[in-house]
Amino acid sequence: MKGFRIRRILIERGAESDSLTKRVLDELPNAPREHVEPYELAPCENIEEMDKESLRIIHFKGEFLKPCPGTKRYICCGYKILNVGSNCPLDCSYCYLQSYVNQPSLRIFSNLQENLDVIGDIIDSSPDRIFRIGTGEFTDSLSLDFLTGWTDFLLPFFSRRKNCVLELKTKTSSIKSLIASRYRKAIVVAWSLNTPRIIANEEHKTATLKRRILAAQECQKAGFFLGFHFDPLLYYPGWEAGYEQTVQLLERYIAPESVIWISLGSFRYMPSLKRAIKRRFPGTNIFDGEFVAGLDGKFRYFKPIRVEMYGKLSERLDKWHHDLGLYLCMESDDVWRQSLGWSPENSENLCSYLDSRVRKLMGD
Amino acid sequence: MSFSFDLEPLKASIDRFGVLNPPYLLRNSDSHFTVVVGYRRLLAVRELGWSDTVCQILPDDFPPFEALLLNLQDNLVHRRLNSVEKGMVLKRLTRFLEKEEVLANFVPILGIPSNRQTLEQFLGLEELEEAIRISVAMERLSPRVAALMGSLGRDDRLRMNDLFTSLKWSFNQQWEAAQWIVEIASREGRSAKDVIDEGEIVGVLDNERVNNPQKVKSIVKILRARRFPSLVEAEKLFKKGLSGLSLPSGVNIIPAPSFEGIDYKLEIVFTKGGELKEKVAELSHLSGLEKVTEFWKGTEHR
Repeated sequence: MKGFRIRRILIERGAESDSLTKRVLDELPNAPREHVEPYELAPCENIEEMDKESLRIIHFKGEFLKPCPGTKRYICCGYKILNVGSNCPLDCSYCYLQSYVNQPSLRIFSNLQENLDVIGDIIDSSPDRIFRIGTGEFTDSLSLDFLTGWTDFLLPFFSRRKNCVLELKTKTSSIKSLIASRYRKAIVVAWSLNTPRIIANEEHKTATLKRRILAAQECQKAGFFLGFHFDPLLYYPGWEAGYEQTVQLLERYIAPESVIWISLGSFRYMPSLKRAIKRRFPGTNIFDGEFVAGLDGKFRYFKPIRVEMYGKLSERLDKWHHDLGLYLCMESDDVWRQSLGWSPENSENLCSYLDSRVRKLMGD
Repeated sequence: MSFSFDLEPLKASIDRFGVLNPPYLLRNSDSHFTVVVGYRRLLAVRELGWSDTVCQILPDDFPPFEALLLNLQDNLVHRRLNSVEKGMVLKRLTRFLEKEEVLANFVPILGIPSNRQTLEQFLGLEELEEAIRISVAMERLSPRVAALMGSLGRDDRLRMNDLFTSLKWSFNQQWEAAQWIVEIASREGRSAKDVIDEGEIVGVLDNERVNNPQKVKSIVKILRARRFPSLVEAEKLFKKGLSGLSLPSGVNIIPAPSFEGIDYKLEIVFTKGGELKEKVAELSHLSGLEKVTEFWKGTEHR
């Protein structure tokens, strides 16, 4: 990862003796350490600047497995979030965590491994259900893996279960520990993709598009299923050619048969996020488009613009392969129909569709 | 801590009754004095041509922070600070205190919403050009818009200040228009000044046949059409489609805001039940009504 450095470790009271804490301290023996109280900001922790150079280790007392914060007004996929921490060393201008989490520093939960049994009980108690679980909603799934060793214990834990899939979503090319692992079953490695221009201008400190796709290729060759997320799609002059470049790279390096799903989602934001972005990235152009208030209070591109983007991109992806598990993230029934030509109609059916992808590709 | 004030009433009072409360001064290391309290009183005395007046000298070791609090206290007791003066107070307080403390203990007593964003807006006011500060102090320009202007170049700021103070804009209208100007400029790769100075807006400003509120309304409309070309086009198409339907009088069809939802509303204005019945019957036979939800969809977005 480009320009990533941890300058200090903040250890919250209660986290000192957790296994993950010990591991992180071993990995960063020279980083200055401070012991801090839970919920108490350290002097270095500037909320507005996110303070991505401090790593706060937290003995988390909340729920580790949570439903993705969707909305009733749009069709959602019924994803579950495995809450391993929040914030990440990458610095995408559009990142919703800037206003959603509103907490500084990189935050990791030291007692995750100790709480996996609780998650296991939840999964095992509903054997007929498919649990699609991901760690990449509140942080990047792999950017801190070299410190936390998340994949070391998450891969064996999820691989041995029949009714779940763990998605590791990233914008990095940090796949070393994945490749070294002997577990493949029930694991999806997924990349957020965008156009080379958006990656260069807005996705700071992330891997280039080519590096991401080459990492995906390596994972695919090593036997992992892949997912891709074109989210957020951004509309700008030349957007179509930009996304075409991205799809061409996919075509060149990725075998489509083991792609479990590809999501499309347009840029959306709450007003508070716009303020945060304008403050942290005053030069960004991501608000240039025509945004209107959505049914959930978030601003989205005016509907015909979304339909055009989804329609053209899905058509292009269809040309690559007809069975990629394309779906839209947080969109309405009419937008689904107009852009993809079909609609799951509701969140329940979208869940079933994606569950069927899991069954189809990974077997029962 | 004074900015943009009318000294005449104070001069008249001092001329008649004298300086009732003496100013407080602090002696500097160079033997000059800093006015802690009573700056306007001293100005008035000078303008009245008096050669002296009684002042209180604070002890040499009087802490600067205490001096600031004394000044604030005196001002708050005697008058209402304008927004620029509030910004000046807050800025000086942040030299001594963390922003969080200023936010918790001082922002509320100045009558400002106690949140970080508003605090930042007020802190930036002092940096702006005098013309803009005067507009804010006189409540002709929204402090929030002034803060937004802080991110622009000097020419853009001053042009925007002219636009918002030459006509009668509400603060909400200013905020909406200011954001659109900045976003249009960003999208078109132009300056905010160029956006304002393009023909259509100048044409409205120069039109002597319309009054100021009408001018504001027209400018808002022009800016909205440039900021949201596809949406405005869709609204036009919908309106055109409706007008072609020959709806009964007092009947209207209202789409979801920005066409984001899929529900439409039918509005029927009537005074008697019989009238309602007639209008409903007329509607049920109206051809083209079934296509009403399609009217806006031919939008070619730009």
